[in-house]
Amino acid sequence: MTLTEELVLLLRDDEGLPFLVREDMVACVLAGAALLDLAFDFRIDTDLESLIVVDSAVTGNSALDRVLARIAARGEVCDTSTWIGILSAEEAPAVLESTLAKLERGGLLKEHRGTFPWRRGRLRPDVEALGASRRRIARLLISDDFPDPRDIALVSLLDACDVLPDIFPGRDVDDWRPRIAQLRKMELIGREVAGAIAAIQRSIVEEVRARAAQFRRVLLEVSTAAAAVGAAALLLPPFPVADRFGTLAEKLWFDSGWQLWSGYALLAIAAGALLAGLCPRARPVARRGGFHWWRLAHAGLGTACLLALFVHTGFRLGAGFNAGLMGCFLAVLVFGALAGVCVNGAAALRKLGVPARLRFLPLRLHRLALYLAPPLVVIHVLIVYLY
Amino acid sequence: MRLKSAHKAALRAGWWLASLAAAGVAAAWMTVGGERDLLLTGPLSDAHHQIGTACESCHAAPVFAAAEDAEAALNKTCLDCHDSELRAADDSHSVRDFRNPRMAVYRERLDARLCTSCHVEHSPEITRKGAVTVAADFCVACHGEGEQDVRAARPSHAGLGFDTCADCHNYHDNRALYADFLVKNAHQPWLADDPMHALSARQRTPSAPPVAPLALSDAIAPATALADPAIASRWAGSGHALSSLNCAACHAPSAPPDAAPEEVEQNWIGAPQFSVCRDCHRMQARTFAAGRHGMRQHPMISPPREPASGHIGAWLPAPITRWFADDPHPQRMTAGEARIAMRPGAASEALDCGACHGSHAADTREAAVEACASCHNDAHTLAYFGSPHHALWEAELSGDGPPGSGVSCATCHMPRTERRGTVVVSHNQNDNLRPNEKMIRTVCLDCHGLGFSLDSLADPDLVARNFNGRPSAHIESIEWALRRAFPDAPR
Repeated sequence: MTLTEELVLLLRDDEGLPFLVREDMVACVLAGAALLDLAFDFRIDTDLESLIVVDSAVTGNSALDRVLARIAARGEVCDTSTWIGILSAEEAPAVLESTLAKLERGGLLKEHRGTFPWRRGRLRPDVEALGASRRRIARLLISDDFPDPRDIALVSLLDACDVLPDIFPGRDVDDWRPRIAQLRKMELIGREVAGAIAAIQRSIVEEVRARAAQFRRVLLEVSTAAAAVGAAALLLPPFPVADRFGTLAEKLWFDSGWQLWSGYALLAIAAGALLAGLCPRARPVARRGGFHWWRLAHAGLGTACLLALFVHTGFRLGAGFNAGLMGCFLAVLVFGALAGVCVNGAAALRKLGVPARLRFLPLRLHRLALYLAPPLVVIHVLIVYLY
Repeated sequence: MRLKSAHKAALRAGWWLASLAAAGVAAAWMTVGGERDLLLTGPLSDAHHQIGTACESCHAAPVFAAAEDAEAALNKTCLDCHDSELRAADDSHSVRDFRNPRMAVYRERLDARLCTSCHVEHSPEITRKGAVTVAADFCVACHGEGEQDVRAARPSHAGLGFDTCADCHNYHDNRALYADFLVKNAHQPWLADDPMHALSARQRTPSAPPVAPLALSDAIAPATALADPAIASRWAGSGHALSSLNCAACHAPSAPPDAAPEEVEQNWIGAPQFSVCRDCHRMQARTFAAGRHGMRQHPMISPPREPASGHIGAWLPAPITRWFADDPHPQRMTAGEARIAMRPGAASEALDCGACHGSHAADTREAAVEACASCHNDAHTLAYFGSPHHALWEAELSGDGPPGSGVSCATCHMPRTERRGTVVVSHNQNDNLRPNEKMIRTVCLDCHGLGFSLDSLADPDLVARNFNGRPSAHIESIEWALRRAFPDAPR
């Protein structure tokens, strides 16, 4: 099993449900894992300014060969950081897909049919293989043994995703922090392997960790603020209108002309937020900006949607279909914001005792509500134009 | 892997199809037919809630009309029902006035050519008294500056806020508030020496005996219909019998006037509809349909849609158009649908001529008080019994008071007018209700002075007590009008 394959396996729970990790983080660690696999196989080398292919012969692993071919094909020389950015944005989905397929072919992931025939079956990990990997990691973390460089890299990447507490739910991962910090420094590698590998590994892992942590704080703050505003919209009475002629509030919320334009603005911002959420999956678009920036744009535009919704409605819930749309829209925004809180504030939520399944719930509800929104928006527009 | 991608694609396609189907069904509800309650953006105002299922009565523009055309069509439908009322009110802010190009600057602030500038439906949060949906100080839009600045033009108004305008003035109907009228009626006592509603007196004074009244034995009807002697007795004492109208006049309207009993039986209708009454009582029927009691029968209320005849419905298969057919609109208002307090037992009472007049007696006296109180259960109605007005009504009924001296519910709420020498009763009981100053000229001033009437109608507690007491408020309109008309007069 390659580092990439073991990483993909360990990023799932016993039921095969992926741990709640930001997609851009997963893309980063996958890109890093693929580079590390290539480095361990002496196919690439790095220094401060460049990452180059030293042996472009195929490895037999389709995911790694894809990455290797990509690096070899690029004319200009780029450093590790640039390659992690490129690979996470453009190659990570393909790496994940082919890694999952290989794990399934090898019997390490097995498809289990869902309750409902229309639902795709979930890929469940082989319990023994997953257990063995977890035990190895746990042994590494609680012992003072000299570890295998692969395991050091694996722990570092898993820690970058902040999933170790989810992998070992019964353990206090905080007790392992000193050991994890020691492993991250890679001081132990030098005694086992050549110093060059240690340097490559250090540069890749540190870059991945830096990228994975990027925007975490700002995303957490934005998500928390948006969740609070959304909850207030649902729980508090509508923003009152002063009984004075010509106030801005009166125009905003009760003048059909103003409402028309604010509605268009809201629709445009919502479409932007949706695109920012979906674009990273489209490689040509993802190439235009880092995965992280799209995620930040998604959160920012989602929050802007809340503000636009306030301008459009004053958080009046409406009646009939409009109430349905308003409820759906607020559900998308509030659950989206809560999902942001759950993903970026996982550590704090774990300390509060919020179970992993519950932390996943907002993201699922966010997506579910999103499916209902388009027909309701179409009906709302038809109501406006027909009546 | 390919299978999973296919599964995902199928799910995605299914979702898109389901979404399109949902939007398609909603679009069909809007354009073809079917239940539309879910499409309402908010509840209708008290004025229009009865006709909520007849959307096209107001939303008359064709599908996807331009915004301006849709707004114009919407505003035109307001006048379909309210035009005559506005004409009668001598509208103080008529649309015609605001079409003048010189008014363009005011139209920028508040386009008074459009009813919907001030009366927006489906917005209960901002719907105020009189179905007004602009802020109470909306007069500031035009009268806050420039040549229309009322505070500059009228020193008496200098310190007043624009939120107080409606305390004395109405936007449309100011017939009881014109300065000349106030001055002319300034010094009247609170009660006239000989208080009497002149037109009611004329109407209720017995006229010459009927030429050929019909008796109980003259009734021509199927035996089954005559089986209940009480029914025939009520008819025999009614105005219909006194006017030589036999049973067939209402129950067999298609039979000739001198039809034989067999022919009457052949054309017999067990329960004649509103249209039968309307054939003879046209003015009453027309005004009835203009008020809250009968507005569902107003000729401008749109009928249920015919799905098969629409633009879209024409090419839809018959089973689908049947499925999308509108429910028939309820033809009669019931007391249970009212938004004001009604007697619990009256909930199913459907409003038509017989609901107030009785099916056979056609008793206008019972219709004037008891019929109202049989449904209405609000403080004003309950307080009527035992009020001075009620005492006068009882006195007139017992013969202790002259005709026209009694004050029934109908005296105030169904104003009498004279047309071509005949006293006619408006059956639009809302005609002089909003604003209530509309009642002053046609009703109150027959017995009371203008100052007392203004004060009384401006006191909501006194109105709730059905004028059992004296007004606690004082409206200074008359004093201000006198000061303006006679600035040098001693105060």
